[in-house]
Amino acid sequence: MYAIAIHGGAGAMPRATLSAERERRYRDGLEAALDAGYALLEQGGTSLDAVAAAVRTLEDDPVFNAGHGAALTRDGAAELDAAIMDGRQMRAGAVASVRHVKNPIELARRVMEKSRHVLLVGAGAEEFALEEQFVLVPNHYFRTAERLEQLQSEQRGERVSDLVPPAPQGTVGAVARDAHGNLAAATSTGGLTNKRPGRVGDSPIIGAGTYAKNGVCAVSATGHGEYFIRAVAAHHVCAAVEYRGLTLAQAVDEMLHKVLRGLGGDGGLIAVDKDGALVLDFSTEGMFRGARAADGRREIAIY
Amino acid sequence: MSRPKLSAVLCPLLVLAGCVLPQAARCDTRPIAIVIHGGAGVIEPSRMTAERAASYRAGLAAALDAGYAVLEQGGSSLDAVTAAVRLMEDDPQFNAGRGAVLNHEGFAELDAAIMDGGSGRAGAVAGVRHVKSPVELARLVMDKSPHVLLVGDGAEEFALEQGVLLVPRSYFVTAAREQELEQARQAQHSASAGATSGNELAEQTSMGTVGAVALDRAGNLAAATSTGGLTNKMLGRVGDSPIIGAGTYASNESCAVSGTGQGEFFIRQVVAYEVCALVRYRHYPLARAVHEVIEELRRKGGEGGIIAMDPAGQIAMEFNSVGMFRGARDSRGRREVGMYRDAQRQP
Repeated sequence: MYAIAIHGGAGAMPRATLSAERERRYRDGLEAALDAGYALLEQGGTSLDAVAAAVRTLEDDPVFNAGHGAALTRDGAAELDAAIMDGRQMRAGAVASVRHVKNPIELARRVMEKSRHVLLVGAGAEEFALEEQFVLVPNHYFRTAERLEQLQSEQRGERVSDLVPPAPQGTVGAVARDAHGNLAAATSTGGLTNKRPGRVGDSPIIGAGTYAKNGVCAVSATGHGEYFIRAVAAHHVCAAVEYRGLTLAQAVDEMLHKVLRGLGGDGGLIAVDKDGALVLDFSTEGMFRGARAADGRREIAIY
Repeated sequence: MSRPKLSAVLCPLLVLAGCVLPQAARCDTRPIAIVIHGGAGVIEPSRMTAERAASYRAGLAAALDAGYAVLEQGGSSLDAVTAAVRLMEDDPQFNAGRGAVLNHEGFAELDAAIMDGGSGRAGAVAGVRHVKSPVELARLVMDKSPHVLLVGDGAEEFALEQGVLLVPRSYFVTAAREQELEQARQAQHSASAGATSGNELAEQTSMGTVGAVALDRAGNLAAATSTGGLTNKMLGRVGDSPIIGAGTYASNESCAVSGTGQGEFFIRQVVAYEVCALVRYRHYPLARAVHEVIEELRRKGGEGGIIAMDPAGQIAMEFNSVGMFRGARDSRGRREVGMYRDAQRQP
């Protein structure tokens, strides 16, 4: 059975603060991304193409924290991270700290397909983008009035200390299984608002924020990246399925509510198993998410 | 890390206090151990001179003993792996810190990570160009920032904020590495002219990387890794060393691992965490877990080596390359330094 799940970030977002109009924008954005990915699966496309299409759609949508509309660093710039993994051959590509690449997920895919490497960062990643005929965009392409406002309010002193990271603001991701049984995962993010330049979270780290292995599972994460890195969260979920025989739902539940909670971190995970069963779970107040599968399931949810 | 850690002071006191109590007479039997590696890209035995071999062995022995001395004095495994890796970073023979390999542009871009198996905390840096001891900066990221991974200029900005002195790029450059880069560029050039893959040739020459894993008297595991990556590497390329779970991992509940080899394979396979997952969830003995992962690496076409330690102080060192610079020392009296397989003649 082919299936796709997406997320548009998890965090503390009190219902009262989410206006009906804003909620509509989030829901429309999620729906567009979900359907873009699903349409490819329906046409017999690969899970790799499906997750890339869904994530690209979310990157282009300014309400989500990735690509256009990404969260800003303490210097007011966008620094973007992304990763993609193909469960069939266990190939992977990732970029971190890029500032001029419109769709980081496409560059991550290019790293996977056209370089000998898995992870490229900063200016070197952009040099590679130019070699691959990407058109770079100025950094202000990513900046929206809303993100600037968030940055300014954060800088006005809502942060208690440098040792307390602010609440997670976003990250987008997708996991899918295609009709041939291939699994894939992709994640893209602007990271934390007011982050220190150079800070890299879990999204571009294979095994932490993004992981896929055919016959086992594919996972994309969102939340307090540092905790997801330390817990090797995405790979841990698949290891629990592969080595301990846990169901995907049990493995995700354990990671979010035991392991990460134990460390003091929260967030959300979306995952798909070898048969196309989807799991979307979170330990925060909400997670922007969507799921669609060949059995007719089709849902968009926030809380 | 010049400031003495509270634990380093308290621990020997507790051990002493424990010894006078009858029920704690076993305090001396709690094992301490350290394993180090200085890379898996070892020179072919035929090209290794006795003089060079002696020099590598001396460098490994110095790092091994420096780390062990920390443990013996009741220090933490975290301090022990930092000390051992720091020594190899400063030693120009090894591909980390001074003497690191040079990227395509002709300068060093350094990566390092450290992880504390007791608390699960970790710190890492990637793509730094002016930090003398990347492992110490990784440790500062762990101890003094809310983050795990900092890259490039941002990592160096953090270094300055922490009072770390930056050094010019030239500090890292040695004549031997300049020569290697020149050879790699020529190989790449002749490859693009139609011969065999120059990129592969270039990568053969160095899979340096240094690393250490250790167990202290308090029963805590730690792992650290530091590297200059690949000779002639693309600007911005990051390998497995600073990736928690790929090249570096430690958990008191399973094991501590440091890897060396073709980083891209280690990242995709999540090598370090995979070893520990097999120990914890499949209940494999450490050596078997390491062996399985090395075999899987070989099946996928990857080359490299792994050092690992479990909470009982068991040691595993395995590689599928020509050799791996390595050393192991523990409180059971083991002390060894090696380069090739046991069966091979050690120059």
